[in-house]
Amino acid sequence: MYVAARGGEEAIQNAETLYHQLNTEYDLNTVRLIERNMPYLVDRVMGEGSLYAPDLAALALAQTGGDIYEAVLMLRAYRSTQPRLAYALPISWDEMNTIRRISAAFKDIPGGQILGPTLDYSHRILDLAVIDNKSPAPKIDAPDPIQPTTSQAEFAPVTTLARVSEWQRAAGLLPKVNADDKQAARDIPDVTREPLLFPTSRAARLQSLSRAETGGVLALGYANMRGYGAVHPTINELRLGYVDVMMTHPMTGEPFSLGRIRVSYAEVVTTFKGSAQKPQLALGFCATLGWNEVKTIAGAMLDMAMDLPEPHPSHTEEYVLYHTDPVESSGFCIHYKLPHYVTFGSSLDAMRGVEVSNSAAASYYGDVSELKAGLPGTYAESELAVSDLSAIDDVVPDIALSAHP
Amino acid sequence: MTPHHLSILARAPAPDVKAFVNDILPFIGPVDMLKSQTGIVMLPAKDSAKEVKFHLGEILMAEATVCLRISKVEGYGACLGRDLQHATAIAILDAALRAEVSIEPIQTFIEEQRQQLAQFDAKLARDVESTRVSMETF
Repeated sequence: MYVAARGGEEAIQNAETLYHQLNTEYDLNTVRLIERNMPYLVDRVMGEGSLYAPDLAALALAQTGGDIYEAVLMLRAYRSTQPRLAYALPISWDEMNTIRRISAAFKDIPGGQILGPTLDYSHRILDLAVIDNKSPAPKIDAPDPIQPTTSQAEFAPVTTLARVSEWQRAAGLLPKVNADDKQAARDIPDVTREPLLFPTSRAARLQSLSRAETGGVLALGYANMRGYGAVHPTINELRLGYVDVMMTHPMTGEPFSLGRIRVSYAEVVTTFKGSAQKPQLALGFCATLGWNEVKTIAGAMLDMAMDLPEPHPSHTEEYVLYHTDPVESSGFCIHYKLPHYVTFGSSLDAMRGVEVSNSAAASYYGDVSELKAGLPGTYAESELAVSDLSAIDDVVPDIALSAHP
Repeated sequence: MTPHHLSILARAPAPDVKAFVNDILPFIGPVDMLKSQTGIVMLPAKDSAKEVKFHLGEILMAEATVCLRISKVEGYGACLGRDLQHATAIAILDAALRAEVSIEPIQTFIEEQRQQLAQFDAKLARDVESTRVSMETF
């Protein structure tokens, strides 16, 4: 139970003014700079917001001073105001315009390995010359101011490559699967329209991972990798690139591209699947809007882990998917900032009630610390943990029920 | 295969498309706006492990449907983002092509845009190709 906020409008307005004073104002130029110069941050917000709109993601970051959780919330809130106009044709990964593609499992994957735009193999040294104003002129051409932003166009190569897993499947290293190619897009489970129920469908799992919070996915994936879980996989394929969002012309039925967007996916592989007679590889998969290597690798690991028995929470679908949604998790965390005066006051009343009971009991029985149970309001803490909760509620409802609103 | 003209126009720089349509509009004649809206399109994908389809996420788009008043031919346009003017400009060119009005300059414009996009694609493809490695000697 919350106390409804009344009054305080002037303080709220002043707080907002102060926020903007301390965090500087923003304008169209700020938004364009964020969009152009921080594409990985923009991608992270779009991926977790589950809405591909680079200019709006950049605006959300500008408006929130770079608070990713708030930016994701704003993007999802905006998304909820928009009608769903159509379902695009399914992405064909084989026709993805590949920018980066590496495999840690095989040196010679069909099509080869492409490092693409990355700093993975470069020194991580701060370029202090920039802030000392001694930086030489940039080696790359400055962006043409009349060129479209990434929200309007993407310029991508024509490198198209089959997935590594397809090659493995053809070689009998992966089990064959029966794909349902006839399933209509509107029949695919959709977590934006139906609540997650467990055990959930694979489609809902992968959609949830796609929009999951990067830090949460990494934390659970890392715990698993370090040994709390049972998965220590190898990266079968990590790929970044562009895909066309294909629609059909409403009058002619011809397919056309709405434009190109950045996407990424990771396949991870282990060797414990199959049978004694025919051992095979097992595959985990994760994809997301935008380019986000950490999330797709950790997500693919968790995809694999969630199929395993449960010695660790990261092997449990419910634990992983419920706790990695950025809006749900950050929202619940920051809701504790809201007034909880009634619930907390109730807890205090209960606490004081216990003190009163104790002193009354002490005057009657002597030292009540030796009492194990049986006196209303004087249950020992260790017994609260193992007692029948419904029975406890009857006795001390404030303690049992007021922990959360 | 040559991309669909809507693909080229959606990917072309929006200011160029709008400017061209403003120039050619007097030759196309009056246009009625039938629909113009922003919205989202859900993007399905398929996973590698079990070949199951799932929703990767949603894409913000703008779309427009117009009708040429004289010929009564309709046209459709759509693009990424929320630029309704861009979508409308594409729809006008689509209608004009379908009605066979001012075909030559429109096709010339689309071909110019296609070539520019192809040049960008080719350059980026070369740049990406330059990062290819042999892991044997990496």
